[in-house]
Amino acid sequence: MKNIVYNIGYFFSEARTLLKIDLLPNMLSIISIGLIFFILALVLSGWDIMNFTIDIIEREAEINVYYKEGLSHEDISKLMDSIKSIEGVGAVEMVDEEESYSRMKDILGDEAHILELFEDNPFSPFIEVKINISESESILNRLHELENIDYIRDNKSVIDRLKDIVSVFKIIGLLAVAAVGVSTLMVVSHIIRQGIYNNRDEINTLKLLGAPQIFIDFPFLLEGLFLTLIGGFIASTMIFILLNYGYGQVEMAIPFIPLPSADSVIREVVMFIIVTSGILGIVGSLLGVANQGDN
Amino acid sequence: MIEAKDVSLIYENGTVALKDVNLHINPGEIVYITGPSGSGKTSLLKLLMGMEYPTHGYLKVMDQVMEKNRAHEIRRMRRKIGPVFQEFKLIRGRTAFENVLLGMRFLDIPPKSMKEYAMEALENVGLQHKASSLVEMLSWGESQRVAIARAIARRPSLILADEPTGNLDVDNAMNIMDLLASFKDANTTVIITTHATHLIDHKKEGTFIRIKNGTLKVEKREVANV
Repeated sequence: MKNIVYNIGYFFSEARTLLKIDLLPNMLSIISIGLIFFILALVLSGWDIMNFTIDIIEREAEINVYYKEGLSHEDISKLMDSIKSIEGVGAVEMVDEEESYSRMKDILGDEAHILELFEDNPFSPFIEVKINISESESILNRLHELENIDYIRDNKSVIDRLKDIVSVFKIIGLLAVAAVGVSTLMVVSHIIRQGIYNNRDEINTLKLLGAPQIFIDFPFLLEGLFLTLIGGFIASTMIFILLNYGYGQVEMAIPFIPLPSADSVIREVVMFIIVTSGILGIVGSLLGVANQGDN
Repeated sequence: MIEAKDVSLIYENGTVALKDVNLHINPGEIVYITGPSGSGKTSLLKLLMGMEYPTHGYLKVMDQVMEKNRAHEIRRMRRKIGPVFQEFKLIRGRTAFENVLLGMRFLDIPPKSMKEYAMEALENVGLQHKASSLVEMLSWGESQRVAIARAIARRPSLILADEPTGNLDVDNAMNIMDLLASFKDANTTVIITTHATHLIDHKKEGTFIRIKNGTLKVEKREVANV
């Protein structure tokens, strides 16, 4: 152990020598690994943003209940109380014709003048019901059982579609992680094997001098770790630049889409990429140095 | 230290390198092995290093039975050996000092003493002024002396030197022979192969092995106690 500590400087210097000896192949490997990790970072960012958006939409899920015309205030109030008593229902609010008109005006923005074409307010009053999305099925069933309800507008189909997209993203994400893992392991272990072959005379001499295998392998393990970590840093820098630029563009074009902060996405993705690159570097190097015999 | 019983080494192509070798070498003994080229000198050293394994017979080096299925233990045993290879086996791209130091980095030598031992070994072979020279910049004779320095710096129990004076002039060769022989005083066993019989003919002490066609003829010379 004391010799390992004493030799740390030697191991690092040997790893640097290994990187320098095969400079061009090593540079190309670093670029390849960087690009592979960048693809993974893209998928992970998409995954992260999608999950956040779905979560917000789910938390803000609401349905609109339109009641029959001619109901008295008392009947409407009773109906609202009945709706409130349903499990999974949050806030229940009355939205009258004027509020409805005003909301649509806000949504249309510059195009709101189109509403002036109507002589009367074309919107009906409705009851806005915040719900827990996971219980939407049972809430809708209960609502259909209530009297005095004319029509229920839910956004279930939109949410279901978003959920489908998220599950597709999850599958793509898992496939990307698996593909990145396998390809990085192959690249790193190949480079390490190449390095071992190029340094076979030195390795044989060390074996003849009785060097333990770990002493011989350590610089190669460090070399693999450097390759993937540098690749990970390149991918992290690229995703940092891309997300900062992309956020600016999206926020300008579609400001109403809820997005997590760019900093939190970058932090999570970069952490994952750096940790994964370190682990893959060590495992790839171990595969590369495996099966070196005592002879 | 070394015990060989009916040891034979036959290569895959059928060449008989060594035949029915019987040998007993004690700790602190100095052994000179001579013989013409191809007689089996290097093969015998390879057996002792665990670079080859006996085809027949029983061989034990420093309590280690030399068998193919014990390769891992044999590699550990090599840490007690100071080998001088005929082709030097120095690591290119490193200085003479780094080469000597590299041979010690994984041994049970206190880290603080390693640099001191390495420098001392280079001084012993007269190469202290070349310590920081890259080994590829050294002459053959100097490279050979670096290889010897690497072997002795390890403070080994057994020195195996294959033609350690092959590229040296007579004066340097004599000095190296005397230097290697001096390690027997520290109870180190020293085994040297050479085809230069004039370097050992005058020696009055040691075990002299002559190999011819894979068979050994052993002669022991001792200085009489006065």
